[in-house]
Amino acid sequence: MRISTANTFDASVDSLVRRQSALATSQEQLTTGKRVNRASDDPAAAARAERALAAEFHTDATQRAVNASQNAMTLSESALGDASDLLQQIREAMVAAGNGSYSDSERQGVANKIAGLRQQLLAVANRQDGAGTYLFGGQSADHAPFLDAAGGVSYQGTSGQVDAASGDPLPLTVDGRAAWVSGRTGNGVFTTVPAPANTGQAWVDTGHVTDPSALTGDSYSIVFSVAGGATTYSVLQNGSPTAVSGVPYTSGQAIEFDGISATVTGTPADTDQFDLNPSTADLNIFNALDQAVAALNTPLRTRSQISQANSTYLASVDAAMAQMQTVRSAVGETLNRIDSATGRLDDLRLAAQTDRSNAEGLDMVKAISDFQNKQTGYDAALKSYSLVQKMSLFNYIS
Amino acid sequence: MSASTLMGIGTRAMFANYAALQTTGNNIANANTQGYSRQEVQTATAKGLYTGAGFFGQGVNVQTVARSYDRFLTTQAWSTNALAAADSTRQDQLTQLENIFPLGEAGLGQAARQVLDGFVDVANNPQDAAARQVVVTRARELAARFQLAGEQLNTLQIGVSQDMRTDIATVNAMATQVADLNKQISALNGAGHTPNDLLDQRDQLISDISGYINVNTIQADDGSVGLFIGGGMSLVLGATANTLVAAPDPFDPAKTQLALREGGVDRLVPANSIAGGSIAGLMRFQNDDLNTAQNLLGQLAVAIGGAINQQQSLGLDAGQPAAAGAPLFSLGAPRTLAANTNAGDAAFSLSVGDFSQVQASDYELRFDGSNYALTRLSDGQAVAGSPFTPADLATGVQVEGMTLQMTAGTAAAGDRFLLQAVAPAAASMQAVMTDPRGLAAASAVTGTLAINNTGTARVASVGLVDRSAYDPTLSARITFTSDTGDYNVDMLDASNAVVSSGTGTWTAGSPITLNGFSLQLSGVPRSGDVIDVAPTTAPAANNGNATAFVALGSSPFVGSTLSGGNVVPGRTLTDAYAAALSDIGVRVQSAKSAAGISSSIAATAETTRVNKAGVNLDEEAARLIQFQQSYQAAAKMLQVAQAVFDTLLQSTAN
Repeated sequence: MRISTANTFDASVDSLVRRQSALATSQEQLTTGKRVNRASDDPAAAARAERALAAEFHTDATQRAVNASQNAMTLSESALGDASDLLQQIREAMVAAGNGSYSDSERQGVANKIAGLRQQLLAVANRQDGAGTYLFGGQSADHAPFLDAAGGVSYQGTSGQVDAASGDPLPLTVDGRAAWVSGRTGNGVFTTVPAPANTGQAWVDTGHVTDPSALTGDSYSIVFSVAGGATTYSVLQNGSPTAVSGVPYTSGQAIEFDGISATVTGTPADTDQFDLNPSTADLNIFNALDQAVAALNTPLRTRSQISQANSTYLASVDAAMAQMQTVRSAVGETLNRIDSATGRLDDLRLAAQTDRSNAEGLDMVKAISDFQNKQTGYDAALKSYSLVQKMSLFNYIS
Repeated sequence: MSASTLMGIGTRAMFANYAALQTTGNNIANANTQGYSRQEVQTATAKGLYTGAGFFGQGVNVQTVARSYDRFLTTQAWSTNALAAADSTRQDQLTQLENIFPLGEAGLGQAARQVLDGFVDVANNPQDAAARQVVVTRARELAARFQLAGEQLNTLQIGVSQDMRTDIATVNAMATQVADLNKQISALNGAGHTPNDLLDQRDQLISDISGYINVNTIQADDGSVGLFIGGGMSLVLGATANTLVAAPDPFDPAKTQLALREGGVDRLVPANSIAGGSIAGLMRFQNDDLNTAQNLLGQLAVAIGGAINQQQSLGLDAGQPAAAGAPLFSLGAPRTLAANTNAGDAAFSLSVGDFSQVQASDYELRFDGSNYALTRLSDGQAVAGSPFTPADLATGVQVEGMTLQMTAGTAAAGDRFLLQAVAPAAASMQAVMTDPRGLAAASAVTGTLAINNTGTARVASVGLVDRSAYDPTLSARITFTSDTGDYNVDMLDASNAVVSSGTGTWTAGSPITLNGFSLQLSGVPRSGDVIDVAPTTAPAANNGNATAFVALGSSPFVGSTLSGGNVVPGRTLTDAYAAALSDIGVRVQSAKSAAGISSSIAATAETTRVNKAGVNLDEEAARLIQFQQSYQAAAKMLQVAQAVFDTLLQSTAN
């Protein structure tokens, strides 16, 4: 076969150029460290890398949301801790005020102390995170949730919580209504309230549940009757008489019916009445403290009034503490969830990075070996070109 | 037998060998000339002289100078060259196109996702002006990238049109030269010898033309060659050449199509009838690849811009007082382009109705005299509901996310219109919101649980889904009446008076949709539980809509389709961009491999041709020696003849 000399040169130059461009591609891969530098290098892998990168970025964004929640929850947790300490101090002061030997002025001293602590407690409830957000602001954390107005402290916000955009909802605020003004009244199941018209010297404790399965959720009244030196009582259920009727009364002895038990102490007068109503979840701790302070400031109270007030307000503080503890444990639980969310996000990020690196990353060992291979090929092509182009019959004709 | 015979034979032999040497020299001289075909002297023995002693040879005659040529190999080289040129032109253009869809952080997909991810920080603290500013800046960056990409596509289109004009001018010049050569060649046709160099020149010109546009050649008896394009349109016939014209596209004047001017009339050359040449590559790139890229980009712009604008409108901004969010982006308006051949004067308006259902395609509307057929050009399929009656169109039809309405005039049978719903969107995309407070981070409604609820249900999310159905003066009170999700709804006005009531049943995982909002619960409600959904009173602290923005990132809102009344979800924006870039990537990849294959086929065909027609210098060197020796032998013959003659003269002189 004849071979055209000019074409031989063209063809060799062509193949040299091809080898050179293959070498350049290899070099680009080595310098960028990526196998896929543009979509055409491997369209499927490029699309996969694109998705993995988006997942990685989104994981970073989600992590920022989780961190914001963590920050808010840590601050809230410490605020709730402070609040519990304050309530504990208030409780101690109240227990002290129950001391029978205290004079009115001593009780007023205690009242002043409680009033001061209550101010601190309100400050905690309106605490901010330093960036304008109220920790207990619920869904309206842009303004203070508790307003100290003439009629007492009122909740001004929208209840609920604001969640961070973290996929798995993590709160950015704590529901102030739940934490501060939703304690259960009474002992958590029912309240014991002496009728305002009572004239006797008796007071009722907060009562307790003896048989949860027997609870009815109805309202009861214990009505006393004093006839001929004998004091008896009857229990009304929603205003209707029950089987408990005309039972002789002994001071300090528990009165039990329908799974609940309450103890009346002292000497009730005829028609004195104690109401037992189902507990509701609207105990406003500030208002309870205000009432306690007002009661302690009231001079010349009877023994039973002091005992009654003490019993009632201690129960309120206990209920508030219990409610706060519930919220605090929920916050603590959230912090736990945040830790696990962070761990999960780390895993996701790693998975996304691995996926991306698998899709577009370069196997260095293979790439270097490829590059050397191509280099050798190019070198051989150059050598053979220079050898072949020297050969011509004209060299031998003289 | 005269003594001069030997002298004659010798002279002729010297002439013949000299001619051969001259031709060899010419071959060597033209070894590197493009299109040169190796020539060789054809010799024949002179007719013998009859004598009584038989025939005596009279030496050698030079017949002609022939060129080494194979018609089949030559035409094959032309057509393969045309294909290779088309493929490599398309590859060059596609490589530029690919740069518009970059990978990773430089890409549009990540830029869009970054806008949505920026809302995470807004959700963390809706009052934080810095977080809002980040989103606004990213949105502006996204719009700028879309705009840049759109402009780059337009620039590519301008480049394609310019390249085509240049190519067409070059082809026209060469076609005229071919016609000239045809004239000269046919004039020399009767001379008995082939005009080798003219033929070479003409072949080379045709080969060059093939690089621009694939031509079929037909040899005429007079030696001229006819050149035909597009399956039978004559570019050169004998001594006359027609001109190619860069004609504007019937629909879009920015695009260029190819036309042949014959007798003063321009006839469009169908793009698919041209198989090869750089013009074919450019046209395929323009009509297919560039168009697809424009539509893919436009679809992304429309879907992302539409989704973000809609989400904006569903929330409340941080203004005083808070109002529904204003659009973040403005997009290029859809276009309807009437063909310049239309006889009627009908005009249509086109708008995007549902951003999530627009497809990455142009549409063609064709009037057959009674009905309008609407064809999706990306796959050539009729759209659902096509054909439409003029009455349908007069009231407006909604199809694939577009609203098409006839606004004026009447169409004549055969009139055609090109509908571009998404293609113009990207190039004029703009971020129209610059005020960070304008971001609608707050949900327009807030859900609250009653304090005495006993179930575990809480509000997972609540927000508007349909602003037009929302009455901001009403709030809803949902009271569950059973443990299995039955509920009553009371719609309350501002003074808490019941305006209307209804009942429903909640099932886990499905939202409760009322008054234009959608309420998603987590946990399980118990009988007696109450959930209030009321207009948001603290928009500064609410992040409901910002969270919805973040959720858009994983929502499949790009290119949904309707199938039997049901919405088939499309792609998430990340997937949509990944699909777009891999679509372009696949095109580049296949164009690259096609170009590799066709160029290697063309190289092989060219090698085969030149191995037949080209010059081998070693061969010529050998011939040089061969003819030199023959020439020397012939010269020796003259010397002998002279000696013989001298001997004869001497003997007669004595």
